[in-house]
Amino acid sequence: MVNIEVLGTGCLKCKRMMKNVEAAVKEMGIEAEVVKIEDITEIMDRGVMLTPALMIDGELAVSGRVADVNEIKEILQG
Amino acid sequence: MAEKQTCSCGCGAGERGKNRIIFACAGASNTGQISNLAAVQLTDEGYGSLACTSLLAAGAANLTKMCRESDGVVIIDGCPNACASRIAEQKEITPDQHIIITELGIKKSGDRGNITDEEIETVVSRAWEGRCR
Repeated sequence: MVNIEVLGTGCLKCKRMMKNVEAAVKEMGIEAEVVKIEDITEIMDRGVMLTPALMIDGELAVSGRVADVNEIKEILQG
Repeated sequence: MAEKQTCSCGCGAGERGKNRIIFACAGASNTGQISNLAAVQLTDEGYGSLACTSLLAAGAANLTKMCRESDGVVIIDGCPNACASRIAEQKEITPDQHIIITELGIKKSGDRGNITDEEIETVVSRAWEGRCR
């Protein structure tokens, strides 16, 4: 089970990132727990300064931009 | 109508340098008009900047130059006639992303009065997802 966190305070770009993550997970057919973190304190606690951000199993993968579906799939494939 | 948001949270800072140019066919059919509405929404959301397809067709050298210097050209055509794409091709501009709306399950018609938010969202999400590259 992969743990995926989408960090962002809830604006459009964060929503776009969330949608892209959901699409990538669905297309790959992997088991993943996708969590959206909107609380700014929690975001800062993870050391993320730029949102939207993407963390995979606790590792920061993308920060400050929306990753497209293929990029997210590549990240998930490792 | 499309959701408009001005974000003040400082998000997307890494994308500020992204300079995508968006051309819509803006044709007379429903799908042509959806192309324009989607391009406007993508501009509002910070995906890129809407540019004038007719100006490109008219031969504006500065716009052609802008495209070549951009981080990507996105073309949204309403139907397989692909008018915007053909205009770009004439100017030797190759799109990085080319979306044809009728290929997304939206039927072309002359009914411009019933364009829905979902239809616009279908096109906008397609762009953000990075499809049609």
